[in-house]
Amino acid sequence: MEGIHPHPVSGACETSPPPRFATKQPRGLSERIRRLRDHYFSGVARRWNNEFTAWTTGAPWDVQYDEFNYYIVPETYPFLQTFRSSFKQVARRVPLHPDFWNWRIVERRAWFIKEVMVRHLPQEILPGDLLAGARFNLQASRCLNRREARERDRRLLGRKGARARVKWFHDHGYGNAGATSGHLIPDYARVLEVGWKGIHADLEARYHALPARDRRSEKGAQLRAMMTAALMPGELAGRYAVECRRIAQETQDGRRKEELLAMAANLDRVPWLPARTFWEAVQSLWMTHLLVMADENYPGPGLSFGRLDQLLYPYWQASTRDGMSREFGKEILECFWIHANTAYDAMIRLGGNQGITAGYGQLFNIAGVGPDGSDMSNELTWVLLDVIDEMSPILEPKPNVRLHRNTPEPLLDRVVEMIANSQGAPFLLNFDERSMAGMLREAREAGIENLINESNVHDYASVGCLENTMVGNDRSGTVNLNLNLLKAVELALNDGRDLLPVRDMITGKVEPVRQAGPRTGNAATFDTWERFWNAFEEQTRYIIRAAVELYEGTEEVRARFSPTPYLSCLVRGCAEKALDVTRGGAEIRFATIEGVTFATTVDSLLAIKFLVFDEKHCSMTELIQALRDNWQGHEVLQAKARFRAPKYGRDDDEADALAERVMALWAGETWKHRTRSTDAQFRPGMLSWNYWVGDGYVMAASPDGRPRGRFLSNAICPSNGADINGPTANANSVGKALGGRATGKSGDWESFLNHLPNGASHTMTFNPSLLRDPEHRAKFKAFLRGYAENGGTALQINMLDADMLKDAQKHPQDYRNLLVRVTGYNAYFTSIGRELQDEIIARESHSKY
Amino acid sequence: MKSSLAKATASTESVEAEPLPAESAQRTALVLNVQRMSTEDGPGIRTTVFFKGCTLACYWCHNPESISPRPQTTWFETRCIGCRTCIAACPQRALSVVADGVSIRRDLCQGCGTCAAACPSTALELLGTPWNLDTLLLEVLKDRVYFDRSAGGVTVSGGEPALQSLFVARFLEACRERGLHTALDTCGMCSQAALERLLAHSDLLLYDIKEIDSGRHKRFTGRTNERILANAVVAAEYMRSHPTPSTFWIRTPLVPAATATEANIRGIGRFIAANLQDVVSRWELCAFNNLCRDKYVRLGETWRCVDEDLLDQEALDALVRIARASGVDPDIVVATGATRIDPASTAN
Repeated sequence: MEGIHPHPVSGACETSPPPRFATKQPRGLSERIRRLRDHYFSGVARRWNNEFTAWTTGAPWDVQYDEFNYYIVPETYPFLQTFRSSFKQVARRVPLHPDFWNWRIVERRAWFIKEVMVRHLPQEILPGDLLAGARFNLQASRCLNRREARERDRRLLGRKGARARVKWFHDHGYGNAGATSGHLIPDYARVLEVGWKGIHADLEARYHALPARDRRSEKGAQLRAMMTAALMPGELAGRYAVECRRIAQETQDGRRKEELLAMAANLDRVPWLPARTFWEAVQSLWMTHLLVMADENYPGPGLSFGRLDQLLYPYWQASTRDGMSREFGKEILECFWIHANTAYDAMIRLGGNQGITAGYGQLFNIAGVGPDGSDMSNELTWVLLDVIDEMSPILEPKPNVRLHRNTPEPLLDRVVEMIANSQGAPFLLNFDERSMAGMLREAREAGIENLINESNVHDYASVGCLENTMVGNDRSGTVNLNLNLLKAVELALNDGRDLLPVRDMITGKVEPVRQAGPRTGNAATFDTWERFWNAFEEQTRYIIRAAVELYEGTEEVRARFSPTPYLSCLVRGCAEKALDVTRGGAEIRFATIEGVTFATTVDSLLAIKFLVFDEKHCSMTELIQALRDNWQGHEVLQAKARFRAPKYGRDDDEADALAERVMALWAGETWKHRTRSTDAQFRPGMLSWNYWVGDGYVMAASPDGRPRGRFLSNAICPSNGADINGPTANANSVGKALGGRATGKSGDWESFLNHLPNGASHTMTFNPSLLRDPEHRAKFKAFLRGYAENGGTALQINMLDADMLKDAQKHPQDYRNLLVRVTGYNAYFTSIGRELQDEIIARESHSKY
Repeated sequence: MKSSLAKATASTESVEAEPLPAESAQRTALVLNVQRMSTEDGPGIRTTVFFKGCTLACYWCHNPESISPRPQTTWFETRCIGCRTCIAACPQRALSVVADGVSIRRDLCQGCGTCAAACPSTALELLGTPWNLDTLLLEVLKDRVYFDRSAGGVTVSGGEPALQSLFVARFLEACRERGLHTALDTCGMCSQAALERLLAHSDLLLYDIKEIDSGRHKRFTGRTNERILANAVVAAEYMRSHPTPSTFWIRTPLVPAATATEANIRGIGRFIAANLQDVVSRWELCAFNNLCRDKYVRLGETWRCVDEDLLDQEALDALVRIARASGVDPDIVVATGATRIDPASTAN
């Protein structure tokens, strides 16, 4: 079981282990926030927390756990049945409304969630906290009747059910897929503007406008369920107001009493009514947000806020005008930060680190381009940067700073200063021009230019880490399909069959190799590289079809059995169509295929071309045998594949042209598909979470010289160690793989092209000496400005740390590109002696450059 | 020493003529390395082209592989898979397997590159590759966006780029024609003609003055310093009478037990003050580093600085103070490089 993390965080972003030498500490926090932060990090020692509670209708067939939320987390496959049974076993019974079983599923579920949240979960306030809304992690009954439960089980658990199919898909190295919650930006702006009262009134009007026949149909049920759900935030706030007043009465501290009464007054008003002040707005936002997590029974992943510095700015302005101090405003935000982190309480008793194994990505964007091309940052942007700086290191909410050509110099200075002081960026960077190009590409491909166009594309925002979507009307299933593009290389090498039989890890049973993909011919007989490419092309079409087909299974089950009426109130299009968001209610709906193993795939193709066709170092038969033998006994050929064959990531135009060809191929195939059950358009992206590590053990050896068990490549990054020409070459390769630049304004957005509207995760590691003084920081800023022109959509910046260097001492073969610089002098770390390596490590851990 | 402090004349005619290697017109140049995103060789983000071959042989040299004007074979232990392909490939039979890896007989090796081409894992590398002008130009243009946004550009360094001045001048000219900022990094040991040929196409001059005492200079580098000092004056005169180079930086390596002496820093400072004050805008004192130890091992050479420790911070600070008090504009003095870390602070 080693290496398996049973914590089912699905859809979270890829994370590298936190730097063990990080010395960044929270700073400048007020007494209140320090206490709340310390209390949060006391973890299981807290008197109460926000771990999952389970709730049942009491029916013997009842089920809580929507396991397909975790089909994209292969580590959980062995535990799915355990989770399902455990939640059921501990579920508490909720007395039902007398009409409960006469309602449709969506109404049952709306009522049940509201009942649990308002009447069964306790409402609690922490000492000193300025925001209400504590417990929300639920595993609530799916509210199915016997027939529905049986039907759902058949589709999920049958011999050809979704669970068996996703396991097959994963075990055979294709990847995974499942309809996953979260990963969207709800229409929070509307709640702040019109309150839930306004939303409820709108739903009521729509319901009454329905013809009587429709009212009795699913449409009527949907709107009734949404109306029920729309009452929940107000009722819950009412409960919290009572609790605030109760504590206020008990407290001896006059100032705290005032605060509690002010909180109660806030809660009397929001989120039911429009927010007027900054405090009300943040309270309204948090209460509304936590209920999405309750409604989806899904703690956080990818449920994002959009452009927070725009969303809250009018309220910030109003309150500071009326005398709110900057410091108090920051405290409100910092309370919001702590609350966002309580999502992790869901499985707090699992694992050594409060059950946290990856970032959830309740993401927010700040700064970024506006409609006229100028930057939209404002005073609140700077306040948020201070909050990020003061609170870090902390995981949630996750900041993403949008940069573009016109990012003001002082803002970029602040960004670079924070990167320098945090030994790695405490935020992701998103690049607007390339990102907007992707959004306009998807609008064109899906024929929704009315919804995404030149006039509004600047208002895009990211969910999770870097997955770009529109705001308030867009659900794009940004992590729902994860496809190993490399599988098509394997199938092309063996006429549509696996290279090796699959052995079940637990039973040891060996499955005979069967014809899975199309028969593209015996690769040994291919006399030209183009013939191999053609086979690869056909197998790519097949794996995309297979992923789409697999996905349909859970998309359909979710559409039928797992409505989220509360969330539907927050996504434009659902009320208009009286259609749940899980059934395709959103105005903009995509299902995203995240292409995994991109660089490994490109490098494998480059190696085949180089070894077999161009340089004739070996025959195709020899290469295939080497892969079957996991390169054992073929070390010379393996070395040639690893070190002599060209690679993506070096700004080598020929290699990068092949990268772009692979990109255009798989992206083009992806656009050809839509879901049947929900009519969502598939779209391409690149984000690899941790699959590039885990699937490295599942997938056979690859022609780039990688043996089974070695990591695959991560997202759009070059393969580990391949980027030997430095950061600018690496960035240029990524930009070219995405399509590069067109001439004039003939790109997707001006001259920018982008095959991946979802965005592409790119991580780069820099030497801290690059940020050592103002002169070098200016150079780093210029690099970021250059990246905006030549690079990708999103960049995570890591700083070389002592641990990485120690690992490089142990595994020099993985770090050939690791350049250490000591002012004016560079050396490949692996090619200097041990003694000097130790000195550099000592230097690095003390930031002595 | 006295003579070098006097106001020098802008000519190398009078300088004792030490023979310099002759240069032939080249279609290609021997290049050691093209380093992209270089942040230490002039302003902004730069691509630095290291030309192979040097007129000096400083005993502390950090890039010993840049000294010889011929290609050299080197072996990287961590890359070697022990397949012995190279042993059979070498036409000179210069390679053999010994206890600690592949041994290269330097007396036999011709630097033909056959072994490097055959090595499956790039453990054998031929240092020094011929590049033609068009390819080199295409390579540096790849980072144009980063140059533009950082006020960076291209630096020619070495070795001594002036050794291949006909090619380098054409290269710098071509860079300039495409709007790239150019920097020349030279040790100054070259003919006046070669220097002026390069200055004509350089925006920035990075000029090394390592040691002011000619005798010591000869001991350290193999050559006396008269020509270097005279060329510095030539360069200054060139700047005064031509639109470019517009910027002149002096660099001095601080090598313990050699150049890192008070007398030397004071002497160089006085020379700058007397001859170059109006044109030099930066005087960089570069602290010695020891990262190149293994390069010598790989080249089969011994390094006289092998046991030399880094400067400590106090010594560096003292030299900076002396430099600032030497008569130059104190604001132009900058210290770079790593200093020794206190062993106590690394105890954990």
